[in-house]
Amino acid sequence: MLKRYLARRLLIAIPSLVIASVIVFTLPRLIPGDAVQLMLAETSYAKDIDELRAKLGLDRALHVQYAEWLGRAVRGDLGESLWTRRPVMQELGQRLPVTAELALYATVIALVIALPIGVLAAARQDTIADYVARSVAILGLSLPGFWLATLLIVMPAIWWGWRPLTGFVDFRQDPLGHMVQMLLPALILGIASAAALMRLTRGMLLEALRQDYVRTAWAKGLTERKVIVKHGLRNAVIPVITLLGTQLPLILGGTVVIETIFGLPGVSRFLFDAINQRDYPVIQGVNLLVVSTVVLVNLGVDVLYGVLDPRIRY
Amino acid sequence: MSLSRRELLSVTAGALAGAALTPRTVRAQTPKKGGTLSLRLWDPPHFDHMLIISYKTNIALSFTHSRLVKQKAGPAIQPGTFPLEGDLAESWSQPNENTYLFKLRRGVRWHNKPPVNGRELTAEDVKYSIERFLTVKGNANAYMLRSVDKVEAVDKYTVKFTLKEPFAWFLDMLASPMAVAIVAKEAIEKFGDMKKPEAVIGTGPWMLDSYRPNVGFTLVRNPTYFLPNLPHIERIEVTVDEDNASRIASFLAGKYDLGWENPGIINRTDWVQIKDTLKQKRPNLKTAEFPANVMSHISMRTDQKPFSDVRVRQAISHAIDRQGILDATAEGVGVFNPAVPAALKDWTLPIDQLGEGAKYFKHDPGEAKRLLAAAGYPSGFPGTLCFTTYGSTILVDAMQLIVKYLKDVGIDAKIDQKEYGAYIASCFQGKFDSMTFGPQTPFLDPDNFIFAQYYPGEPKNQSHINDPVLADMLVKQRRTFDVPKRREVLNEIQRYLAKQQYYVQVPSGVYVGVWDGALKNYGPNVGYDYGGRLMAAWLDR
Repeated sequence: MLKRYLARRLLIAIPSLVIASVIVFTLPRLIPGDAVQLMLAETSYAKDIDELRAKLGLDRALHVQYAEWLGRAVRGDLGESLWTRRPVMQELGQRLPVTAELALYATVIALVIALPIGVLAAARQDTIADYVARSVAILGLSLPGFWLATLLIVMPAIWWGWRPLTGFVDFRQDPLGHMVQMLLPALILGIASAAALMRLTRGMLLEALRQDYVRTAWAKGLTERKVIVKHGLRNAVIPVITLLGTQLPLILGGTVVIETIFGLPGVSRFLFDAINQRDYPVIQGVNLLVVSTVVLVNLGVDVLYGVLDPRIRY
Repeated sequence: MSLSRRELLSVTAGALAGAALTPRTVRAQTPKKGGTLSLRLWDPPHFDHMLIISYKTNIALSFTHSRLVKQKAGPAIQPGTFPLEGDLAESWSQPNENTYLFKLRRGVRWHNKPPVNGRELTAEDVKYSIERFLTVKGNANAYMLRSVDKVEAVDKYTVKFTLKEPFAWFLDMLASPMAVAIVAKEAIEKFGDMKKPEAVIGTGPWMLDSYRPNVGFTLVRNPTYFLPNLPHIERIEVTVDEDNASRIASFLAGKYDLGWENPGIINRTDWVQIKDTLKQKRPNLKTAEFPANVMSHISMRTDQKPFSDVRVRQAISHAIDRQGILDATAEGVGVFNPAVPAALKDWTLPIDQLGEGAKYFKHDPGEAKRLLAAAGYPSGFPGTLCFTTYGSTILVDAMQLIVKYLKDVGIDAKIDQKEYGAYIASCFQGKFDSMTFGPQTPFLDPDNFIFAQYYPGEPKNQSHINDPVLADMLVKQRRTFDVPKRREVLNEIQRYLAKQQYYVQVPSGVYVGVWDGALKNYGPNVGYDYGGRLMAAWLDR
């Protein structure tokens, strides 16, 4: 059953990806100014612009360019950067692990912070612990990541003349240094997501704890831990997992700023530069990758529902 | 300039020192070999300087490549001046106005990297580089050598340039760190162009050792550099650091040896905030102040009403409170620019010497209104001001003030803010209806500011100027080889432009050049030639 469900979902994902591919191909070209105008900037003559545009194949009809790009993309070839001439897949291969690792750490940190505090706040509703947890959550939601990152970098430099590592430390060369370098940005990214997850966990768990089956569990004399974790949390966690799925694009969006501040060579910074330079193959490649990732993660979330809730069967 | 007298002596009187000073002092002044210099620079979009006009690429190549001639550098050079000296050229002559002969140094070796493998540089390499510069598709700087008719390798060490017409700035163009670095044919043929880091094979003082996209690159000393015993610094570690807070923190923590902004400076707004902390954390820092050659201006459609009326343009100039802009954006410290930026000390004319046109640089809203009324606009007029932020809060503040100043005299300028790419593709190229405000490329010669922006048909003629009187003078300065006479022509042009106000220039700030005290024999200057300025410097730590 699960296989059929997965196959059906993947089939449904194809039109989504095709529509997304049309959007990621078309939208950058609707922004005024193209790569050629930016390459030649203010010192260009009309003849030079036309010649370079022809050389890069940007003078052909849009649908012809799209068909050619899509044909190559389905075979795993996302083309070459208009600026560097390096294959987009190769560039992504170098940068994706950094962003993926950062997003993974941020998600783990968000869960590690959110679930225990959310459970504690719900289990101790209207106590000091609850008030503190809710206040911290609101603070976490309110603090912009870039502000927090700036403070964490600048203040130690002013106070102690120290700042976190600059320059990216490769895991293969220095595993510990790499982990230390990733910790701070992941923490900053994770805090904002943790705040939202914590509030939802608390709210859902409170609702679950008021259900009849929980009252029955108490009546059976089960321990608090069993009642809350096994009967309450398991039922409360499905909306939390859904939210986690939707947090991924937000975390990826947040990495643009965080990667810039911490000098991490990830995909987000690469995309930001590509947009400024109108490097269409890079913009298309990165966005297609992000869309595919979000589709797959949401599919994973749906599958997870069945694991967490026995009532859901595919 | 806070350069100490001791350091100045150590550079200029080094040869005398051995005889005159005690052995201990001699040791302190003898250049030390080795050490690692840490810089914050930029990630080059790619490494082919002939296919991009980005300062990020030009700065990177200033370490690795040589030019035929170059601008002198060092503590003895006053910032804003650019005397020329040979780089690959040992000497040169000009038999007639249209011919230049360059004698190359013998024994210049390319970096020992495949496919060039350290072979000797010859005249054919120079010929190849110039021809590629002029013909490769996508070279936006090709216009700088548009006067070249042909290049010939007369023999292994002699290159002959024949120009189509006299061009007095020819040597300055060859020396520009924004243009003609000499490249190896084999590298271009093997890699297709010079975009990839593997193709960065030059004859410069440092070699590209490794490149890490978005992270940084490492340069190591070229052991076969053609100037004996240079460079002194063994290794240069470059960090790409795109966040200002991160840069401030790094500088405070002593991680960068030069100011983090181009050209090795700290923006005054940042400097004012951190200078006291720096006095405690890095007491041995050296500083030098000099005007920025980044000049912003208001361009106008002078081919259309109302800007075709000189009184309207003069009114706009009167409307702008230049000192007010400096007070708001540059801590009150800056210089007023005539048509040639005040930073180019050899060629600019002080405002008080602009003659009749000097008065238009004075903030006088009453006179501006009178001029507008005389031009037939007693209530002012509506317009637009095209703009992009360049990611600079300073520029945004200046733009907001300009809009206010224009409003004060009745010109209701709506801000037409564009994203950078859209701006470059439209307003920067003169495609706008009313006015544009923004910075210009910071060249080191007046011709690129004057001819390129005022001569009819030039791509940078944003104000659509077609003035035959001016055009004649612009050509004349290009054909006047005698420097004092050329300066006179340029002075005449600046006085004429002060009256015409085809562009309304906004003042520039004064840079704070900053470097670690351990860096000796270093002199800051404007321009992208980091490699040239560091070539003879050494580290005393």
